[in-house]
Amino acid sequence: MSEPKREKFIVPIGPQHPALKEPGNFEFTVDGEIVTDAAVRLGFVHRGIEKACEVRNYTQDMYLLERICGICSHVHATAFVLGVEKLAGIQAPPRAEAIRVLAAELERIHSHFLWLGVAAHEAGFDTLFMYAWRDREVVMDILETLSGSRVHYSVNVLGGVKIDVDEKLSDLIKKDMDFLEERTEYYMKVVTTDDTFIGRTRGIGTLSKERAEVLGAVGPTVRASGVKRDVRVNSPYSGYKEFPVKMITDETGDLEARFIVRLKELYESYRIIKEILEKIQPGELVTRIKRKIPEGEVISRVEAPRGELFYYIKSNGTEIPERVKVRTPSLCNWGTIMDVAVGHKLADMPMLLVGIDPCFSCNDRMVEVRSNSQKPQIMNWDGLRNYGIEYYR
Amino acid sequence: MNTDSENFYNQIVNKLKNWARINSPWAIHFNSGSCNGCDIEILATLTPRYDVERLGIKLQGSPRHADVLIATGPVTLQALDRLIRVYEQMPDPKFVIAVGSCALSGGVFDGCYSVIGDLNKVIPVNVYIPGCPPRPEAIIFGVVQLLESLKKGKNPQPITVPDEIPEIAVEEESNGNE
Amino acid sequence: METSEILESGKIILEKWIESSSTPEENRLDIWVTIENFKPVVQSIVENHWGYLITITGLDVPPLFDEEKKEIQSGQLEALYHFANEAAIITIRVKVPYSKPQIESICDLIPSATIYEREVIELFGFDLLNTPNTDKLVLPDSWPEGVYPMRKTFTNLQVLENTTKEQPDE
Ligand code: SF4
Repeated sequence: MSEPKREKFIVPIGPQHPALKEPGNFEFTVDGEIVTDAAVRLGFVHRGIEKACEVRNYTQDMYLLERICGICSHVHATAFVLGVEKLAGIQAPPRAEAIRVLAAELERIHSHFLWLGVAAHEAGFDTLFMYAWRDREVVMDILETLSGSRVHYSVNVLGGVKIDVDEKLSDLIKKDMDFLEERTEYYMKVVTTDDTFIGRTRGIGTLSKERAEVLGAVGPTVRASGVKRDVRVNSPYSGYKEFPVKMITDETGDLEARFIVRLKELYESYRIIKEILEKIQPGELVTRIKRKIPEGEVISRVEAPRGELFYYIKSNGTEIPERVKVRTPSLCNWGTIMDVAVGHKLADMPMLLVGIDPCFSCNDRMVEVRSNSQKPQIMNWDGLRNYGIEYYR
Repeated sequence: MNTDSENFYNQIVNKLKNWARINSPWAIHFNSGSCNGCDIEILATLTPRYDVERLGIKLQGSPRHADVLIATGPVTLQALDRLIRVYEQMPDPKFVIAVGSCALSGGVFDGCYSVIGDLNKVIPVNVYIPGCPPRPEAIIFGVVQLLESLKKGKNPQPITVPDEIPEIAVEEESNGNE
Repeated sequence: METSEILESGKIILEKWIESSSTPEENRLDIWVTIENFKPVVQSIVENHWGYLITITGLDVPPLFDEEKKEIQSGQLEALYHFANEAAIITIRVKVPYSKPQIESICDLIPSATIYEREVIELFGFDLLNTPNTDKLVLPDSWPEGVYPMRKTFTNLQVLENTTKEQPDE
């Protein structure tokens, strides 16, 4: 591998780096400025949840699975609960389904804001980071009033939900949605017109439609490349049957497109939330479900903020599942990083990584950058981030 | 060696160090297998609504510059080494804050094959902040507890929840789902 | 296209290899194939652009014993390859015995499968022939060789001696 004239460096990043708040370990092999290879090592947050599910009962599992990820905890619970309900042959009442969607969309808003902030931080645009996180608190407040918790809302129970919205709250939410819509307009402007920002995003990390399809990417990452892949639209579940969403896609497939797709999705979320609050019918919140779940296998897919979340649940007729398999969206988007990184400048790597909105806890998780070179160069995430910012100054 | 002047000098320096430490603790955050919930709340403390930087607390990238290690998550086997390494790289005196039920006891992940479960089994912990996840206010409160104890003594004693929890006026009907 | 039509089209592609099949839900089709046929099946899915690979699920089917502790069915591993096309899901299922858990790797057809393959290798002990990368993906570096945590026989590691608390029970 080692040609005498060309030195190659392996740049390990992580596991602990302050920007993403999560341990990741990536390894980039670079030739001068250009990345020639990328590798990933997960497992720093691997806790063995799938195994743990096999010794806990369904109710306990729901709370455990919720804690796979602190950003998209509601979708994990929803996917699991929907699967179990399908196995048990029951259907949650319509009001419960609508509230599930409500919570899911609120969660999407908070997740996209969070991501916008982190991405801005990586680009060296800390003002936007602070703005985005300030506005995110609005959603957090709603979620907290709704469920009593800021992170693990535990909205679901097997057979329904345990929270309800009343008039007062729904007025408040609608008001907040209007406020956020206004803010989103502003972010859209920044993202599409600010020169420094565009310099870091436009034309970078382009993923072609064909490539995205082959790599099996999901979520906003793949939609930014023009692939129509959104479980909420392709295979509506829960309340999405009643409250359909529009598919948001973009054609260019670069980082900018991913920003735009996510921001546009926010509008869609505001719309859905308002629609639900308008149209929600009074009614029951839970149906009864037996503790023992009939034998069978079920596949449950939901659209998490980052893409398709896949659950496979196998029941053996007892109170405890036989097998629970979780495939999180970030895991399949890793494939795209490994593919896109090659040929890009090292300075682009931080943006590229946040571009897929990696969620390490979701894949259990960490990334490393290593090189088989004579002179390995160690760089921590902060260093790389600064390198990127300086490079584009 | 033990001359009076040197003693005096040392005292001054120590005082100065302590003062500096209390007024501007630099923290490093380490995730050893958490679900992100706690980490996001820690990050939220930096943002405009909570803004710990007004207390002089700064989140820092490198362990070598940090006084306080804020650790989250049930310690996973893979993160174990790095956790210890980060702890050892920190200059003395160093303090550890464990955030979240996971770092306290393993939380929901207790018994999973890849977790050790309790931060205290690995490194000494000074402050525990319970909750899943703790609210940003709770995290700030925990940090302030650490600073207070530094002010009082040279080394903080492990602090638990205070015996008397001050009464907080609860706004009636603030909750939408009665 | 309707979901059922998509499923039907998938079934037609795979017709000649199907050993047995079932439709557990209306948008799903489970297909059992033999190990020899497995690679051509995946190949024809890829060539016909029928959907994308969601993930690979491993299952452990422990050996069955009768009353006299005689093995009536030996232990098996089952690999489930889920392919999705809009709402339709086709699951290709292959069973392999513990003694020879070999399946052809599909990374040459679907490059992003490597991450899933590494996962089932680690957690179940599959032996995926010609898979490009068998580095550890999720398990800790210190994990002992040949211990597969997702097998039913695995309960907990002995090295965790200080965490042998009882499992929480309701
Ligand atoms: S305490 Fe709760 S929020 Fe914090 S890491 Fe553990 S599960 Fe996540």
